[in-house]
Amino acid sequence: MTPLQFEAAYTPLWDELQAMLDRVEGARPRQKKDQPADKKARTKVKPAPIDGARLSVLYRRACEHLALAQARAYPIGLTQRLEQLTHRAHQLIYRRHEPGFGIGRLRRLLLVDIPQSVRAHRGYLLVAALLFIVPTLLVGWACWRDPGFILHLMDAQQVRNFDQMYGPGADPIGKPRSAETDWQMFGYYIQHNIGIGFQCFAAGLFGGIGSAFFLVFNGLQGGAVGGYLTARGHGEAFYSFIVTHSAFELTAIVMSGAAGLRLGHALIAPGRRTRLEALRHASSHAIVVMYGVIAFLLIAAAVEAFWSSARWVEPQVKYGVGAACWALVIAYLGWQGRPRRAADEKGPDAG
Amino acid sequence: MSLDTLTTAETPEGIALSLRPAGLVPRVLAFAADFGIRVVMFFALSALLGLGGGLGAGLQLMMYFLLEWFYPVVFELALAGATPGKRMLGLRVVMDSGLPVTPAASIIRNLLRAADFMPLLYGFGLLAMLWRPDFKRLGDMAAGTLVVHAGSVELHGALPDAPPRAPARPLALREQAAIVNWAMRGQRLTPARFDELAVLARSAIDAGAGAPDATQRLLGVAHWLLGRRGDAAR
Repeated sequence: MTPLQFEAAYTPLWDELQAMLDRVEGARPRQKKDQPADKKARTKVKPAPIDGARLSVLYRRACEHLALAQARAYPIGLTQRLEQLTHRAHQLIYRRHEPGFGIGRLRRLLLVDIPQSVRAHRGYLLVAALLFIVPTLLVGWACWRDPGFILHLMDAQQVRNFDQMYGPGADPIGKPRSAETDWQMFGYYIQHNIGIGFQCFAAGLFGGIGSAFFLVFNGLQGGAVGGYLTARGHGEAFYSFIVTHSAFELTAIVMSGAAGLRLGHALIAPGRRTRLEALRHASSHAIVVMYGVIAFLLIAAAVEAFWSSARWVEPQVKYGVGAACWALVIAYLGWQGRPRRAADEKGPDAG
Repeated sequence: MSLDTLTTAETPEGIALSLRPAGLVPRVLAFAADFGIRVVMFFALSALLGLGGGLGAGLQLMMYFLLEWFYPVVFELALAGATPGKRMLGLRVVMDSGLPVTPAASIIRNLLRAADFMPLLYGFGLLAMLWRPDFKRLGDMAAGTLVVHAGSVELHGALPDAPPRAPARPLALREQAAIVNWAMRGQRLTPARFDELAVLARSAIDAGAGAPDATQRLLGVAHWLLGRRGDAAR
């Protein structure tokens, strides 16, 4: 069969496939424009109903023809046309047909996927928590015994700032702040803290060292400030300030560190996969933990901006609410989204 | 073929789709364009919000955060895998399989941007892209994505006319393909180069070294290979 005969024999099929693809692809951008009307976006593909069975038949034929054309070294123009057709049809047929980020997907993410995925990372969580807590306690103890120790970690100006913020002095953090400042701080906490969480995760790509660094560094800072302020007698102002949002913030930092450590571990010890494959696998699971980090840090930012800074609330109330939040976070991560007893056997292994 | 930086993705039907990964320069340019767009967006929106005092400042910081981390994610998911900058340069983000990028992959590759950025100014990202034949940065490796040129290159056009003639000897498949492809590039090559290439292939036509009509004869062979048989055949 010569190329010309081949082309003549099968062009009708290719034309039909092309017309079908044009119709579907042409229909989508037009729909995109009136997307604000949510209902119209739902019926995205419907205006151009195409025969799926026919499409798949045509696609398979085009695949055969492409293979033949390549094997017989037919002219490039011909193979290129077939390549384009099959490429477009492949995209159409194998596209993921899930509804993106709908409410249902978000619900499932929050109620099932995130806590399950966090539990599946419990080993990494333990390591990350130790990397964070051990420096916190050590430095906290050192600064509590000798407040001057903090100068090894921060310069005097920063320390004076902390004294001012939490001390009984002129400019306490909890002075009656306007709602405006609260909003400004909310924006700041989102921009700054979530950015740190993301960096802590991303830095794990370098064998986990980056995540470990972020964890230890944040532990040192927090421990130093806590120990120092306790020794100076500003403990109550400080702890009542941090107790509520730390439930979300510290957990989130440890979670992002754990996700980062997972990436690093996949690179260092890929197991039976290639390193690249292991990294891809690990990141597809670790990213679910990061969704949880985003959610936690958003909550933490709101709490820190609007609740923690409220001076009019008695410290005892804050401790109570803080304890409730810690219990809530631990219960959520520990028990939410477990499969029911009957389904226990085939419980999904998110790891 | 091995000169090209094509990567292939195999489909379940057993055919290989070829993707053209975009190299360092178009991606840096696309990044620069996106950066400009982001800066303009930030200042335009800040001008609106900046009047709002503390609330405005808070919203401004949130906007900064969203532009920094989620600008690419939103556009990659909404606009067929391309931020405005990538679209300007005809680039797209796809999965390794050639399929549209998934939400999770887009988020992974854009969060890991922070790793590419280290130690400074996308140092590791640039190194990774220069290192690999498919120009992936670290985020692309972890997410299993690829930045490709969206359009296809048309180098080959219609054959110039010539009377069909049979080749002087049996031709291997590769030789047949080379001759036909040469003929289809007739529109793009300079005539001198076209003739020069034809002389190189003179063993396919029964002509001596200095035959003046080598080009015409070889074009005839190309027509013959495509399946045309005229009365001018040998």
